[in-house]
Amino acid sequence: MRRLPTGLVFALPALIVLLMLIAYPVAYTGVLSVTDPSGAYTGLKNYQDVLSSRLTPRAFVNTLWWVGGSIVFQVSLGTAAAILLNQEFPGRGVVRAVSVIPWVVPGIVAATTWAWMFHTEFGIINYMLAGPGLISEPVGWLTNPDTVMPAMIAINVWKLFPFVSIMVLAGLQSIPKDLYEAARVDGATFWDETRYITLPQVRPVLMAVTLLLVIWALNHVTTIYAITKGGPANLTLITPIQIFRLGFESFQFNQAAALSVMFFLVAMVIVALYIRFLASGGETAR
Amino acid sequence: MRVSLPGRLALYASAGLLMAVCLFPFLWMVVSSVKELRELYTIPPTWVPRNPTLSNYATVLFSSNIPRYFLNSLVISLGATALSLALAIFASYGFARFSFRGKAAAQSFVLVGQLLPTAAIIVPLFVTLRWLDLVSTYLGLILVYMIITLPLSVWMLTSYFRAIPVELEEAAIIDGASRMGVLFRITLPLSLPGLVAVTIYAFVTTWNEFIFALCFATDSSVKTLPIGLAEFTTEFNTDWGAVMAASVIMTLPVALLFLSMQRLFIGGLMAGATKG
Amino acid sequence: MTKNQRLASRLAIGASLLALCASAVAAGEITWWTPNFNEARARELVAQFQEANPEITVNLEITTTNGLPERILTTLQSGAAPDLIDVQHPWVNGYAQNNLVVPLDDVLEDREDYNSAALDYVTWNDQLWGIPYRVEALAILMNRGHFEGAGLDPDSPPQTWDELLAAAQTLTEAGHSGFAITGGGEVGNTVFRSLPFIWMNGGDIISEDGKTAVVNSPEAVEAVKFWTDMYVAHGVSPTSTLENDGTANRRLFIADQVSMYQSGQFDIASIQEENPDIQIGVMMTPHPEGKDTAAILGGWSWVVPAAAENPEDAKTLIRFLAQSDNMGFFTDTFPARTSAMDLPRFDDPMLQVFAQMLPYGRPLPSHPRWVQISQAYFDGIQRILIGEQDAQASMDLAAEEIQALLDQ
Repeated sequence: MRRLPTGLVFALPALIVLLMLIAYPVAYTGVLSVTDPSGAYTGLKNYQDVLSSRLTPRAFVNTLWWVGGSIVFQVSLGTAAAILLNQEFPGRGVVRAVSVIPWVVPGIVAATTWAWMFHTEFGIINYMLAGPGLISEPVGWLTNPDTVMPAMIAINVWKLFPFVSIMVLAGLQSIPKDLYEAARVDGATFWDETRYITLPQVRPVLMAVTLLLVIWALNHVTTIYAITKGGPANLTLITPIQIFRLGFESFQFNQAAALSVMFFLVAMVIVALYIRFLASGGETAR
Repeated sequence: MRVSLPGRLALYASAGLLMAVCLFPFLWMVVSSVKELRELYTIPPTWVPRNPTLSNYATVLFSSNIPRYFLNSLVISLGATALSLALAIFASYGFARFSFRGKAAAQSFVLVGQLLPTAAIIVPLFVTLRWLDLVSTYLGLILVYMIITLPLSVWMLTSYFRAIPVELEEAAIIDGASRMGVLFRITLPLSLPGLVAVTIYAFVTTWNEFIFALCFATDSSVKTLPIGLAEFTTEFNTDWGAVMAASVIMTLPVALLFLSMQRLFIGGLMAGATKG
Repeated sequence: MTKNQRLASRLAIGASLLALCASAVAAGEITWWTPNFNEARARELVAQFQEANPEITVNLEITTTNGLPERILTTLQSGAAPDLIDVQHPWVNGYAQNNLVVPLDDVLEDREDYNSAALDYVTWNDQLWGIPYRVEALAILMNRGHFEGAGLDPDSPPQTWDELLAAAQTLTEAGHSGFAITGGGEVGNTVFRSLPFIWMNGGDIISEDGKTAVVNSPEAVEAVKFWTDMYVAHGVSPTSTLENDGTANRRLFIADQVSMYQSGQFDIASIQEENPDIQIGVMMTPHPEGKDTAAILGGWSWVVPAAAENPEDAKTLIRFLAQSDNMGFFTDTFPARTSAMDLPRFDDPMLQVFAQMLPYGRPLPSHPRWVQISQAYFDGIQRILIGEQDAQASMDLAAEEIQALLDQ
């Protein structure tokens, strides 16, 4: 009897649990995407219907902006925060605990609180900017086409950069202190250390975190749905919200399934490319 | 080693800025939670309440379901976190230290759960839970949460495990330790910060999850805190004071939990590990 | 059928059968889902019902308003449903057309006593799919103090569109937003407030037979332009209009920023509680010269899911709840039965104007694609408010999209 590879044995429990939970939904969605509400096979018609909607390409472009904008700031701010929190200073534990708060606040409450703060008339943000005369008129953060998507992205960045900083901070702990000491002996400055020691060492963690942020951004519904529902005039409509609307608002389950399948395939391709080219490396045992 | 004065000022200023950014909306929430109803929506908005009141907290603690839901959330989140950790530790170790045919496929498969849009999987998951007769049970919800906690836990732990030098483990094996022994006595202790990070992630995600809980926990003996928040909204009115108070109650314990785990979140565990 | 489809459907059937066997429900036990704002009254009625019908036990399950349509849909689709659910009128047709609920023609008694528009709402294919218990219509709430301060008489409010605009402009000059419209939030907010204007002018969004999009007809565009101009051209609606729904407008009203806004009787209690200094007035929605006013009928109905385990007992409960006195007691706004309106609680003078609007209430069209149609219409309104297109161009684009939906 052939023995299973050890690595596979280790991974098996998790794989089995996931398989049990995911198999039926994947099959269900797949079947739904190629049938019509009565169950008859319709081939690719649902896909055609969805692709021909005026909203689909628009949502796709918005999604690119949303994902790109979010990732750039989440990663850069999160990493900067992690490096900051890795330094030694009094009260560091408290600052670390406080920095977790945006992530921990319930998503719906964070969204509505920010919407309230951004409100043109009730909002504390306009109030605080108008006081010292930084703005002459209230800004319509959520009503102006130029500011509404950046506002959504800002909320998403605020919510998730602590996640990045915690994950990177954990990674920073495994950098041997001897490396830093050796560098200081050689006369390196803080910025040199950061560039040549810190960042390269956390590269694997950063890569993993970035991939997850991309996946989450691609799947995100809560913040935008709670505040603008994809509006105004579909300016903030992203693909996951379009899927949600098709499924739960319009009862168009077959089309929602078709869109989900396409979305899923695109995401799988990104993940596969990522794993092949970027996440190789690390040491393995036999 | 002493950091220069301008360096230290910059450090404190940055730390202050970080705290301000993180706390600003939360502070607004806390202030709102002690305001009376009529003060919540004034124009212009006020930072300091004219008649601060604890009535919102009284509502939340004594006349709502929040205390019961707090308990439910605690059980479910702790359970889901424990189960994720158990499954993920083994899977990540397998991915980090071994190579086998189909490993890339298996790793991709693990991420699949994260990619499925919620709207697409809710109905089939509900059917699955009914089949297992686990609707409205702690175990049912814990199981379903594996879909959202496992992929990331495995993914992140794999990279944390990889960061530990293989020589340490190989040295132990040469000395006669078993694989499991190596895992528990060397790898895990050295990856403690990573374990803490993943624990916090799993806990926070399940603590705040709404839509699965709403659809799968139909009995108030199992309902969770996010549902409790939603209960403050009636058809034309949301008791915002109570929502803010409840949010503060939901957020602070987790932040305090993280504060208490600071001791585990330290570096230098491998100092000198690879020296001669 | 492909192999996969057979497997999937077998899995589904298997799951349902197993579920059916696993949960043997005692005959005489029903589960009723009702929203949290009905809770206290529901409990009382359930107690009375169980006294009169000791062989039936009612499990009351209180639902939240957030996420309610999604939760109901999930449960109806998964084959595991309660026996009785409270839903809003517009949702009923979607359920009926997807075979998710059972017809209730045998449950209705005293058909003539019911608000006919409400019954139309839940009728499809000549069958009745829900029993309405609550109806309401929007009117306009006004701040009497603002009126007097601007030199207007709150006891003779504007009756026509021209008068409305003039009053709004006078009030705005006096320092408040004269007439607030909605531009954000749920689609329903804006549809409920703007569509009646279209109806009043003789237009509609889709034709009676449901085959043509008519939202870009001259009558409809004129009405849309009149309504959106409140924000776009005249500035009598607040600058935050695009982020405001009905509730936000209520808050602005409470904060003394708005003089008139469209709303229902449900807002009155909140306003009185949060700002007792405001003297509230109510007026009927103004109409174009020489025509009648109009409103959309809102409200709630009872439905029995197709997957209910005990539909017969559920129907018995409905018959009890639908009795005139019980319905009058249960409803938050107005009952769907005219005889129930005789109850003393409806004598409140504040409610008079709202009661006067009821006869002008019409149901929303019952097209299967109505949700997407109203979304396309709402997108059009937002395009106008945001300045992307003018009224005609925006409605032309909306008509194109709606026509595509009608042709599917």
